[in-house]
Amino acid sequence: MSLDELELELRRLRGVLAVGFQESDGLLLVELQAGPDAYPELARDATLIANQGAVGPVAVEVVRWGDRASAPRETRLRLVEITNDPAVGQLQVRLALGDDEGVGRASTDHGLLAPVEATVAAIRVFLPDLRFLPGWARLVETTPDRRFLVVASVTDPDTQEHRRGAAEGASPVAAATRATLAALNRTIALDLAPLL
Amino acid sequence: MPEPTATLLTTSLVDVARLGSGLGAVYRALDLVVDRYGLDDAALVVEVPGLGRQVLHAGRRPIGDDETHLHDAPEGLHTQPPLDEPVVAELLLALGALALRYDARPDPGGTAVPGESA
Repeated sequence: MSLDELELELRRLRGVLAVGFQESDGLLLVELQAGPDAYPELARDATLIANQGAVGPVAVEVVRWGDRASAPRETRLRLVEITNDPAVGQLQVRLALGDDEGVGRASTDHGLLAPVEATVAAIRVFLPDLRFLPGWARLVETTPDRRFLVVASVTDPDTQEHRRGAAEGASPVAAATRATLAALNRTIALDLAPLL
Repeated sequence: MPEPTATLLTTSLVDVARLGSGLGAVYRALDLVVDRYGLDDAALVVEVPGLGRQVLHAGRRPIGDDETHLHDAPEGLHTQPPLDEPVVAELLLALGALALRYDARPDPGGTAVPGESA
């Protein structure tokens, strides 16, 4: 199956709005963006199709978007600023929801995990009961124009549920911060809505 | 990753349209627009009979958290930075609609195109 055929098969699945591909270390990441009419078994069907159509290991991520009216864009946390203080070895991530801001901090000793930790900490300012913990972050690509693509993962330790996000940035830290937001923003949107 | 049927990115848009898939032609056109106008990014939002609303991102890249709100975007060409070329945008939208209708034919070996009146 060609890439075109694989993409078309995925786009035929009900509710699929967009299909994207990213290859890293021999793993093909297939991202499906799904709208409100997507059905519950979409991830299963997409995984079956992707495994039949791709050569080598495949990971399928389904990004679900609800009714546009019920999940307004304002319920997303917005990245305001990332600051790094080498003197104290601390990374600081500032997020905003409307006019409110929250800051999270982490030790730069933790490398690329630090922006994930700082971002999760900043989210906890708004949602203290957030069930996800920082997992890992991995730089998967550096583009010729020096942009960095990072995949970040967070985990619910009770259910072992993982959320992964991918994002680009001008630095690996910026990309990891955005990737962490990408991993969580959809999950927390409903919890954030009452805070506005 | 499987190889695109329209093979190389250096293949001309016309050749892709002649020999490749509809999807391949749209992505090639998006690449061309990004390249010719020096854009950072481009995406096409198009409504297609049989497939519904479809978003095609240049380079087949994931949309991720959709920071540019393509889910809510109106039909058309969306670029970063914005491109003030309405004819290019309209042609690309037409190409996208036609190409995806072509690809989504119930019988790829036949001639019917979804959405066509009998």
